Amino acid sequence: MKKKIPKLLMKSLNTEPEFNEESNIEDIEIKKQDISTDIEKNLETFKKIFTVPDNADVKLREFTIQQLNRKAFLLYISTMADLNNIMAGIEGPLIDSEHPGSKIKDIVSYPIEKTSTNIGDITEFIAAGVTALFVDGDPDCYLFETTKIRGRSIEKSENEVIVKGAKEAFNEKVIDNIALIRKKIKNENLIVKTQTISKRSRNTVFLVYQKDLVNEELLQNVKERLKSFDTDSTIDLSILEQYLEERPRSLFPTIVYTERPDRAAAFIEEGHIILLMENSPSCLILPATFWAMFHSPEDHYLRVPYGNFIRILRFLALFVAVFTSPIYLAITNFHVGMIPPDLLMAIAGTRERVPFPSIIEVLMMELAFELIREAGLRVPSPIGPTIGIVGALILGQAAVQANIISPIVIIVIALSGLSSFIIIDISMNFAIRITRFLFIFTAGFMGIYGVTALFIGGLFYLVSLKSFGTSYFAPMTPHSFSSKDLLIRHIPIKERFRPGYLKPRDMVKQRKG
Amino acid sequence: MKQQSAKIGVREYVSIAVLMVGTKATEDTPANLYSHVQNAAWMIPLLSAGFFFIPLYLLIKTMSLYEGKDLFSVIKKILGKYLGFMVCLVIFIINSFAVSFDTRTYTNIIRSFYFTTTPTLIIYAILMFICAYGAKKGLQHIGSVSYLIVFYAVVSLYVALWLGTKHANINSMFPLWGSGAFVLVKEGAQKVTIFADFFLLTMVLPYLKSNKAFKKGTWFSYIYICIQISMSILIFVCMFDESLGGTAYPFHTLIRYISLGQYIPNVEIIFFIIWIMAAFIRFTAFLYINALMFGNLFKIKDFEYLIPSLATIYLMLGFIPEAPINVSLQFKPIIWSTVGPMFAGISILLWLVALIRGEFKHAKNKNTM
Repeated sequence: MKKKIPKLLMKSLNTEPEFNEESNIEDIEIKKQDISTDIEKNLETFKKIFTVPDNADVKLREFTIQQLNRKAFLLYISTMADLNNIMAGIEGPLIDSEHPGSKIKDIVSYPIEKTSTNIGDITEFIAAGVTALFVDGDPDCYLFETTKIRGRSIEKSENEVIVKGAKEAFNEKVIDNIALIRKKIKNENLIVKTQTISKRSRNTVFLVYQKDLVNEELLQNVKERLKSFDTDSTIDLSILEQYLEERPRSLFPTIVYTERPDRAAAFIEEGHIILLMENSPSCLILPATFWAMFHSPEDHYLRVPYGNFIRILRFLALFVAVFTSPIYLAITNFHVGMIPPDLLMAIAGTRERVPFPSIIEVLMMELAFELIREAGLRVPSPIGPTIGIVGALILGQAAVQANIISPIVIIVIALSGLSSFIIIDISMNFAIRITRFLFIFTAGFMGIYGVTALFIGGLFYLVSLKSFGTSYFAPMTPHSFSSKDLLIRHIPIKERFRPGYLKPRDMVKQRKG
Repeated sequence: MKQQSAKIGVREYVSIAVLMVGTKATEDTPANLYSHVQNAAWMIPLLSAGFFFIPLYLLIKTMSLYEGKDLFSVIKKILGKYLGFMVCLVIFIINSFAVSFDTRTYTNIIRSFYFTTTPTLIIYAILMFICAYGAKKGLQHIGSVSYLIVFYAVVSLYVALWLGTKHANINSMFPLWGSGAFVLVKEGAQKVTIFADFFLLTMVLPYLKSNKAFKKGTWFSYIYICIQISMSILIFVCMFDESLGGTAYPFHTLIRYISLGQYIPNVEIIFFIIWIMAAFIRFTAFLYINALMFGNLFKIKDFEYLIPSLATIYLMLGFIPEAPINVSLQFKPIIWSTVGPMFAGISILLWLVALIRGEFKHAKNKNTM
């Protein structure tokens, strides 16, 4: 009741105008029909559907099949199909073949994918790069799988760089991406299931999982979630990610977005579900926990002591990134007694001629750092490093000499800024950077007390986050059975179990032997 | 999306208990004890634990008759509708006052030691706001957060105490019996209030994964906490000796006193951070339990919505005493000397009534059948 009243009020104040769609009932009706045996009629229908000849890359070729002495036409989109194959395997034999034959499949050398009669279906296939053959007097339309999509090849991972381990990354072709995963998991239980999620552009999502591992309830949950939104187009996985998340406005991500196939394969092996999409050089891993974003694949590739060393380093970096500037602010403003006298004198000496309060100083410098960082990303790569050096070094030096910023603030900002790069996950990285600003404000307002209050409040919030029913800090708390790969990882022989929060069908991934 | 059932495991429960009760050694309890029994103060927690063991055991035994019922339901069931309601109401009211004055005590500590120029109201309001926010998230999340920080809280307490021993003198322990064995026993019986929180924790029993987990968790944390409190007080006694009676908050004096080597003379902020985190958890749990009680008393199902208003009321209530000294000397002693014995009395009463009504036999018959 309480919530209803403001909602009603908002609704009455904020009315959405009604948009009426232009009627296309005629088109929809056509697509429901079957093709006719009369080739002239078919020709007319498909010319209308594909707006031939205005549509430049839709190729329609009419000819006569010699052996059958019948009229026929081929329809395909030249930019989506492999022209050489069409010429050599389909068109050539049909027009001019030495072998006599009465059936189409005996004449063409290219394998027929399937036959279809429904206009709507055929249209969809053609739009996806399939070549359609219509023959006069034949009730079926022959479809050839000639799709050839252009894109870049498999390249090195650029955003999640590691030193030891596989380097290849996903690209924009989903076939390649699936192949990359299959290459790592050679098992018939690895399922690639497609699901169409948008109406107009018919984007399909590929769910990849191990049939004999994944929890059925989780799978159903994900499928229903994918079905639940009614949208015309979802062009990229990163947009789908926002549709899927329970709290899209939250600062913290609840789905892992990665471009590394080895990482995806590792998660599949644990019983997670991977989502892939055409045109997206990445995959989504769900459900995800804090640990999934915090870990890097390299932790496991390196030997145990080294792997744990970088884990601890990363954990430290997480705290340094968030808390250095707030703690500097809190201590210099509220708890001066904590600093050893010599250091206090040094800090006070450098701040003597700076006219701003330290919170303004820190905020200015944080902002400058974020600017340099963002600019460094967008600058064309040949001049990128130069800009970085000009920005960071010269700006910092000049600011200190002009008595705008004290040198210690430069140290603090540089340290926290550098540390934030250690968090690989891009969403987590943003989350950390934004929370830093929140902490800076609370530190300026209430010192350590404010920082701690926000920290505990934040922990309460984080703990209550859920990703497809999985708590953010699972399996640490709420506790569930797992191989305890949290802050510290164990030697591979000891990691015998899949995470219990997923409720996989097979908990044990390594038997004693 | 379907939410998981909000049951907490034994780890989370123990963490809540340790943070809730264990923080008692860091407020004005040691000074309070010292003023009564001098340097035998460290024995009081052990004695009280011994005294309170019997009622707590009986209570848990009685509660185990009613699987999956919380304290208030059991009280109502055993004592009847009207008497039960009265008893529950009294518990709720006393507990409300306890929360208000405890939060005020913590606010006083923060203000007098760390933020001397900040208005009390702001410190107090932030404390209550965070606690209300956390409590509204529910018991499972309180448990998770306390599990995440309990390790650091306990370790930092021990580090502080260990650093404190460098300034301590073991001879301050003697005479061993302080102001006399009889006084000690008498005070020990009265100060069972230290462990009264365990009585309240039986409210959350239905939210635990199993009755067994509850029993295990309760006894583990009970024994651990009585050792921890006793040890902290012993170190305070050895450090401050006679002056402990006049040191309102010995833990905070201690962390101001200690240093990390020559170079870093003041480390109190590090310990303050962790102490205040523990305090947040403590009052969050308290607030949640109080809301649970209120919801149970007046049959309000969605009691989570009550938490902000309850927090506001406690804030106003705790704001009534004008000076910190009033809280410590006028209001808290009343609660101190009544709560513990009363809760113990209620526990024994419940057990007796259940025994007379033959509930135990009943349950036994049910089991054998």
